[in-house]
Amino acid sequence: MIELVQLVKRFGDLTAVNELSLTVGRGEFFAVLGPNAAGKTTTIKMLSGLIKPSSGQARIAGFDVQTQPMEARRRMAYVPDFPFLYDKLTPAEFLRFTGQLFRMDEAAIVKGSHELVARFNLEAYLKKSIEGLSHGTRQRVAIVSALLHDPEVIILDEPMVGLDPHHARVLKDILKEKTRLGMTVFISTHQLSVAEEMADRIGIIHHGRLVALGNKEELRRQSGVDGALESVFLALTMAEANLLSDHTHAPTSKPQ
Amino acid sequence: MSRTAAIHPLRLLLQVNLRQLLRRFQSTAVQSPLWVIMVVICTGGYLALSFWLFYRGLRFLETFPGLGALLTERLLFILFAFLFILLLLSSLVISYSNLFRNRETAFLVTLPISRETIFQWKFIESAFLASWAFVFLIAPLLAAYGLMRGVSWHFYVLTILLVGMFVVIPSVLGSWFAVVLARYLDRRSFQVSCVLIGLTLLSVVAFWPQPEPLTEDMLEVRVLAILDQMLMQTRFAQFPLLPSYWLSSSVLHWAEGAFATAGFFALVLLSNVLLFGFLCLTYTGHFFYDAASAVQSRNSVFGHWIFGRRHKPSSSSPWPAKGGLEKVIGWLPWLEPDLAALIVKDIRIFWRDTTQWGQTLVLFGLLAAYIINLRHFSTQLTNAFWVNAVAFLNLGACSLNLATLTTRFVFPQFSLEGKRVWILGLAPLGLVRAVKTKFTLAFSASLIVTLGLILLSCRMLRLDFTRLSYFAVAITIMTFSLNGLAVGLGAIYPNFREENPSKIVSGFGGTFCLIVSFLYIVFSVAVLAYGSPWVASGARSVSVTLLCMGSFLGLSFLVGWVPFYWGLKKVANFEQT
Repeated sequence: MIELVQLVKRFGDLTAVNELSLTVGRGEFFAVLGPNAAGKTTTIKMLSGLIKPSSGQARIAGFDVQTQPMEARRRMAYVPDFPFLYDKLTPAEFLRFTGQLFRMDEAAIVKGSHELVARFNLEAYLKKSIEGLSHGTRQRVAIVSALLHDPEVIILDEPMVGLDPHHARVLKDILKEKTRLGMTVFISTHQLSVAEEMADRIGIIHHGRLVALGNKEELRRQSGVDGALESVFLALTMAEANLLSDHTHAPTSKPQ
Repeated sequence: MSRTAAIHPLRLLLQVNLRQLLRRFQSTAVQSPLWVIMVVICTGGYLALSFWLFYRGLRFLETFPGLGALLTERLLFILFAFLFILLLLSSLVISYSNLFRNRETAFLVTLPISRETIFQWKFIESAFLASWAFVFLIAPLLAAYGLMRGVSWHFYVLTILLVGMFVVIPSVLGSWFAVVLARYLDRRSFQVSCVLIGLTLLSVVAFWPQPEPLTEDMLEVRVLAILDQMLMQTRFAQFPLLPSYWLSSSVLHWAEGAFATAGFFALVLLSNVLLFGFLCLTYTGHFFYDAASAVQSRNSVFGHWIFGRRHKPSSSSPWPAKGGLEKVIGWLPWLEPDLAALIVKDIRIFWRDTTQWGQTLVLFGLLAAYIINLRHFSTQLTNAFWVNAVAFLNLGACSLNLATLTTRFVFPQFSLEGKRVWILGLAPLGLVRAVKTKFTLAFSASLIVTLGLILLSCRMLRLDFTRLSYFAVAITIMTFSLNGLAVGLGAIYPNFREENPSKIVSGFGGTFCLIVSFLYIVFSVAVLAYGSPWVASGARSVSVTLLCMGSFLGLSFLVGWVPFYWGLKKVANFEQT
């Protein structure tokens, strides 16, 4: 459902994503982990079509994000870490707007929103201006709008930021249910507990390269550490960092 | 999931954004009725005053026998030619930020909206943002022209249509330039290039023109020759391939009743608008996406320049050494380290924000170019009245420039700092001292520029030391007052929710600051000029002069110190709560 083929992104001298190849299947919950400035967000930006790769391909449901953008975007949803919402609209108006962009009729929008709004406890905010909502509430509105058109692939960049534990649980439950129905989830997070609990497979990106890939057991084997995901993650990224400092020049800057 | 016959995304985007705009107006009207009243009064005042001035000016031109119509015609050609250039620059800047530095654009790129549609929407938005103010500015002139020529109602309808068509061409060209620049030039390099080009143009304006010296005799005898020379120098505005030429020709011919010729030029304009509009709306989307991706994918090109490489720290230590600015500020023995750190931070932010120093350079650069050119007229400025008048007008122009900058950049300082209150507010420095330091820094920095310009003006006008000192003291007091007003009102009317300084300024406090600054300058210059001891028709009595100076000092205290004092009190209360 998601295919990254030899994906490369260079920012001047810095190679932010380096020869990244990955396939995420239908109904799979895939978590990508990595230290700061590892290349996770750049990968997501290429996957969502925000930036063009320097080389390689990103495909959603078989459609190339660059050459068949409309086909790819109709099948996906993207929730960034700080989502954009129209401040002067109400959540209900925003949901209707995004639903209409995905060619949903009014009945489908109302029906689709109804359950998601209830689960995220947004009923009380539906007719309030978005500008007055807290960060967490805005995040919930963005997540509902992304799930509304029932995408085949959902890409989330740090979706738990700002969510309280209750709504973080709701999101996890919904994503798990959706994966059972065939939706592919691609999530970038620093919360190792989310990856540990939810992910079918985990990819660890470091210095733009995919340094480890597999389920928890496979990662444990690759790292040689038998413990929590945190220990596995630290072992893998430390080993990679040591390798890099021994053999190459590590990148020193990240573009703004 | 059931799907419906799709509403075109462009229509959806227009609906959503119009609704946003309407709600913004509604909430402003509800939350700040005073602000709305103030804006309505100022807008109405501007329209009425400018209409009256344009009408009087055009009437005055008509009094030149045989030349009035010619001068009016040339005036309109020049006006629309400059309008075209200004619209082009304005739409270039607005298109750039709207297409490539806009969160809505990034949001839309991930949705099933074609690149062409995203570009179409952003083009419409940018064209509107870039041109509404210009249309607003020229409306009184066209109304005055129509009234003077006694035209019928259809002149105004046609003019509105023509101006509406005309703004499309510079908007299209501006958006294309923005796309090309974004594709091939880093934003910072773009800004620096703009400033360098601006400085070059200013230098050309300041030093290139060498007007022929005019004597009283020439003015009396060779009026036609001089007029002919002036018309020759402004012929560029009648270059037939300029869209402004088609617009001006159509407007002028329609007013004269030559409908066929007016129609011809209107159709030339329309055909070009259709061609450029078609190309823009159908073929630019793909280039826009390439450029947007390039902007997101770019490191600063400064890093690749030889200059940038040479200045990279050679030390292996990851911790950068103190910069030159820190060293210079560190040499000031009376500055405590925390205040020095705050000053270094503010200067760095000013320097790195090209918008701030770019606008400062343009505003004061234009004034400097004008003042330097005064040397060409010094032989004609022999009349004491005109020397005095020009000196006071320069004082007014300099203060108005300063007021624009203090409102735009000094006023939002506290609001922006308040957003980061955890840094300054929780540090031992304290917010009150921080605000005082900001005032001192803004006052000192702006005084260097304003005082320098006024001294230059006095030098060009060959004023003696006493008058030079008089103007120097006056501009120093006005600089103090305008900075005090901006800092004080900025603290009294803070906006901690907004991160964009231009949006902070557009609220009640910023508008109030601008209006008070403007009224203060008008009153101060008027009162100082009236009470000037150097008026041509014999000196005023000492008591009148002293009364005028006293009024100026009193008003400066009221406008500068009182808001600053109340602002500090409010900041102190804010800190305690």
